[in-house]
Amino acid sequence: MTGIFMIAVYFVSLFLLVKPLGSYMARVFEGEKTLLSPVFGWMERLIYRILGINPEDDQPWCKYGAAMLAFTLVSILATYAMLRLQGMLPLNPQGFDGKQMPGHLAFNTAVSFASNTNWQSYSPELALSYFSNMVALAFHNWASASVGMAVAIALVRGFSRKSAKGVGNFWADLTRATLYILLPISLIGALFFVWQGVPMTFHAPQTITTLEGAKQTIALGPVASQEILKQLGTNGGGFFNANSAHPFENPTPLSNFVTLLLIFCIPAALTYTFGRMVGNVRQGWAILGAMTVLFVAGAVVCNVAEQAGNPNVAKAHVMTQSTATQPGGNMEGKETRFGIGASTLFATVTTGASCGAVNSMHDSYTPVGGLVPLFNIMTGEVIFGGVGSGLYGMLMFAVIAVFIAGLMVGRTPEYLGKKIEKFEVQMAMLSVLVLAASILGFTALSANLNYPKDSPINTFAGSNYGGADTPYGPTVGNTNNGGAHGFSEILYAYTSATGNNGSAFAGLTANTPHYDLTLGLAMLIGRFLMIIPLLAIAGSMAAKKSVPVSAGTFATDNGTFVILLVGVVIIVGALTFFPALSLGPIVEHYQMLGGGLK
Amino acid sequence: MNDLFYVAVTVAFFAIAFAYIRGCENLRGGAVDE
Repeated sequence: MTGIFMIAVYFVSLFLLVKPLGSYMARVFEGEKTLLSPVFGWMERLIYRILGINPEDDQPWCKYGAAMLAFTLVSILATYAMLRLQGMLPLNPQGFDGKQMPGHLAFNTAVSFASNTNWQSYSPELALSYFSNMVALAFHNWASASVGMAVAIALVRGFSRKSAKGVGNFWADLTRATLYILLPISLIGALFFVWQGVPMTFHAPQTITTLEGAKQTIALGPVASQEILKQLGTNGGGFFNANSAHPFENPTPLSNFVTLLLIFCIPAALTYTFGRMVGNVRQGWAILGAMTVLFVAGAVVCNVAEQAGNPNVAKAHVMTQSTATQPGGNMEGKETRFGIGASTLFATVTTGASCGAVNSMHDSYTPVGGLVPLFNIMTGEVIFGGVGSGLYGMLMFAVIAVFIAGLMVGRTPEYLGKKIEKFEVQMAMLSVLVLAASILGFTALSANLNYPKDSPINTFAGSNYGGADTPYGPTVGNTNNGGAHGFSEILYAYTSATGNNGSAFAGLTANTPHYDLTLGLAMLIGRFLMIIPLLAIAGSMAAKKSVPVSAGTFATDNGTFVILLVGVVIIVGALTFFPALSLGPIVEHYQMLGGGLK
Repeated sequence: MNDLFYVAVTVAFFAIAFAYIRGCENLRGGAVDE
């Protein structure tokens, strides 16, 4: 009950933010004056002047997309160089160098942060200097979130403009998203996290003596400034390996609650921005409604499954009921300070959004509890989704939904007064199929590859971190568990990478050349080969004339459309991934009911 | 050599992505706008 009550309180708080933040973002992206124009306006103009940008230069979708790709390519290569050369760069009290960041890991990490995935195949405490954290990676926490917003707004302009050639200016959208949206919230948010107890220091890690007399190293660093962007930009990459389960990243129940609000606030508010920009806020509410239905269903199922726990534990005469003194259910992999309610809410929020921060270990969830985060990502990260990516993903499904509705009634489908024709449906399906091909293709590959036992391609170089090298040989050897759960660990990794989520099931040793390379490719495919067709839709829609509303127009701002949209998201997700889910969490669930503990 | 490989992989992917833009735009040329 506490968990369900927490979900209700969370949503009331979130919905209170949607209209004010959404209206503000619409003004920002339409180039109107806002409350913060006097504060940041000069900075915006200075950036345009230095970089030679004309914000009024309306770019066709090809040029907009090419600018986005060029910006990302250069930033990935720069990040790769900084990670490899961290030993020669400042702010490195731990003395890390390129040994802790070998080529495959630097590639994976640079791509991961640039694609807003923030998958981490390494333990940050053991591999990254403060400079690498604060410059090489933090840059992407800003930039990848801004790129996501820019692409979403370009798509919205595609729907709102009539007979237009352009979809906006990428450089202006990128600058405005960073200066007017991310920067002010981050400044306040970072101070909030410092107040809650998150460290913000350049001191080296401290070695202390415990009460038992043992020596313990306490990792420190400039955490608060990273933490805010990690959540607000739905990035998710932690300063510490334990991510938001670490008390220095997420110290209090209040920091946990605010963290959850930060993850969803921009994706949720962007639906209102969309409604305002297309001139009908009900359209935005309909999109938000579909997101909410999908999210609440998952959050409740996950909470109930974890609260029920493993029936075999109860059969072994261990008390699994919730009482005043113990949470009951499945507490494995969860922080006692958060309990089941705050852990499952966090798990569903972080996978509904493409955040990927975690405050509990998803690998330890019950099969059904673990299936929900997995399924959330498989929908294409549209259940609120990432900053920008949630909206553009859901609009892609809206195009498919009106196409299906058009087929059912035998009319040319329309959305927001624009005809949806062959090209738009082709592009939407390309986006859907590329995600499925990446997730299922890479999972199948890594479930079957048999490298020789001593192959360096699938060896974890533990000696770089003070341990021993571990050659795995076959790629299933990298999993902590065998059978269905081991398969789920591989499936989750490629789902997380392709969906640009970045959370891990935590049961897979992914820091080998094979996994770093293939996961990195999955992130690139999931991000950019999805965005390009959507920008093509934006360009095509912007060029179209508006069709007047008639008696036969299918309304897309009511409950019927919300149900249709939810159905399309579930059916596309379920039909595509059901066989893979059957081999993983579904069969594991029946194994559990059959009496196995694993 | 190791670094060159990963840089080449990155550049190759983005070359494909740029070509993908061109491919989508070419496909759009066949779309009908009534």
